[in-house]
Amino acid sequence: MAPSNFASCTHNVTGAERKNVREAGADSGNDAGVLLDHLFRHQVGRVVAHLARVLGPARLDLAEESIQEAMLRALQAWPYQGIPENPGAWLFRVAHNSAIDSLRRARFLDQNSDVVLAELTRASSIASGDPSFEEQLRDDELRMIFMCCHPEIARDARVALSLKTVGGFSVREIASAFLADDAAIAQRLVRAKRQLRDRHVTLDLPDAAELDQRLDSVLETIYFIFNEGYAAHEGEDLIRRDLCFEALRLGRLLAASSLATPRVHALVAVMALQAARLPARIDEAGDLILLEDQDRDRWDQHLIALGFHHFNLSIAGDQVSEYHVQAAIAAVYTRAADLRSIDWPAILELYNQLLAISGASPVVALNRAVAVAKVHGAAEALAEIETLRGNPRLRDYYLLLAVRGHLLEELGRHEEAAECWRAALACRCSEPERRFLRRKLS
Amino acid sequence: MPQYMLALYDDPSGWKKLSPEEMQKAVEKYMAWGKRPYVVTGKRLAADLGKVLKGGSGKGRATDGPYSETKEVLGGIYLIEAKDYDEAVERTLDHPHLEHGTIELRQLYS
Repeated sequence: MAPSNFASCTHNVTGAERKNVREAGADSGNDAGVLLDHLFRHQVGRVVAHLARVLGPARLDLAEESIQEAMLRALQAWPYQGIPENPGAWLFRVAHNSAIDSLRRARFLDQNSDVVLAELTRASSIASGDPSFEEQLRDDELRMIFMCCHPEIARDARVALSLKTVGGFSVREIASAFLADDAAIAQRLVRAKRQLRDRHVTLDLPDAAELDQRLDSVLETIYFIFNEGYAAHEGEDLIRRDLCFEALRLGRLLAASSLATPRVHALVAVMALQAARLPARIDEAGDLILLEDQDRDRWDQHLIALGFHHFNLSIAGDQVSEYHVQAAIAAVYTRAADLRSIDWPAILELYNQLLAISGASPVVALNRAVAVAKVHGAAEALAEIETLRGNPRLRDYYLLLAVRGHLLEELGRHEEAAECWRAALACRCSEPERRFLRRKLS
Repeated sequence: MPQYMLALYDDPSGWKKLSPEEMQKAVEKYMAWGKRPYVVTGKRLAADLGKVLKGGSGKGRATDGPYSETKEVLGGIYLIEAKDYDEAVERTLDHPHLEHGTIELRQLYS
């Protein structure tokens, strides 16, 4: 059996983390009666995690309905009565009272119910900000993350369940982020909950023997959410940016727990260093700006500091994961003072490692080709890309065509380059990417 | 300055379709509107439908609220100041409640 409190921090808390604890914590109001960003969304995660542990994972629906009821009541009351002194604690308490009412009304009371009701009543009256209770809540959130990302659940269902249950996203928001329709996401959630029940997935945290495998599944899910948000599929929707920051939040929650391994820190480092570039990636007209042309003053220094903090923690131990190498690549870009000082040989070496770890992934090979061009010239890079063109995983992949066009242009083969960009335009890509290609063509 | 009453009606089941983020945004918009200088006060009504009292021969009679046949219920009221109906309408037209329900505007005699 796993020890009870995994959430205790095992390393020095940085200023950034202290801020995060405050944001996530019960101290969520302020004097001006303004709500913290995403308070409702984050409160859904905390309350559902806590209620699901007390009520049992079989009553996940009741946990979700209870916080929904609390938010509806806030919506009815706060516009007239003002925001309570501690809005997060208010939502927490009202959700607990709603759960207590539902339990009593539904009469599915058994011998266990007295314990459950007593625990709910106790939790609803605990002073907000109580340090040991805050720790309990972080522990509950961790349990919920591990449950939602259980290897027994299909990956797309894991992603949807995590975003809905831990992240407080709605079905419609998840659907819009993944370009799916609402019914498909709703169906995915139903399936996920059925799998939880059928396979008797519990809220237990993994013990040492299964930690690696369970953690893999969690990290993979978090990284998938981050990359979905980061990929500029359909322009820069706010909801996609929210996915990036939700993934970062989940990663940091793990990193601050005693379950953190160097791999966890490496993942947080990649996400923070890449997210730092989000503000510089799009210009005022909504057009894509390549890394090389980005205004470095617009990179988020707070996230860069956070990224390097976790990067340093990731170096402990001798394990080198995909996240380590990705973080190292992001770190090289970030450290360079300007475009000319990027250490391309170092980046190429890292891509060689990544290619080996990823089992010769064609997408990694394509990214590596860009580094090859910088170190050995466009002709050599083009030769490497030619071997990728037959790969079925890259067929109709706009980036392959865009990179090839770029290399051909550098070699002075303008006609062939233009042909590539025209072909790239015919592939699935976002509006900003499309405009970028059109600019190249004109 | 004359006062006007805003009676805010909405269909409570409509709120359930909002995501947590959208609910928070809605609360914030209401709060921001409520802080405007011409808003005198706002009062929320209890979620039950109240009572209707009717006189009859002899003694009056109270029954439960009358709204069961309509979907929209009266959720709360605000009092605002405005020099005339035109200004009152203008000050109310951008109320965030209009994204969710309807507002009845009435002038109060001072």
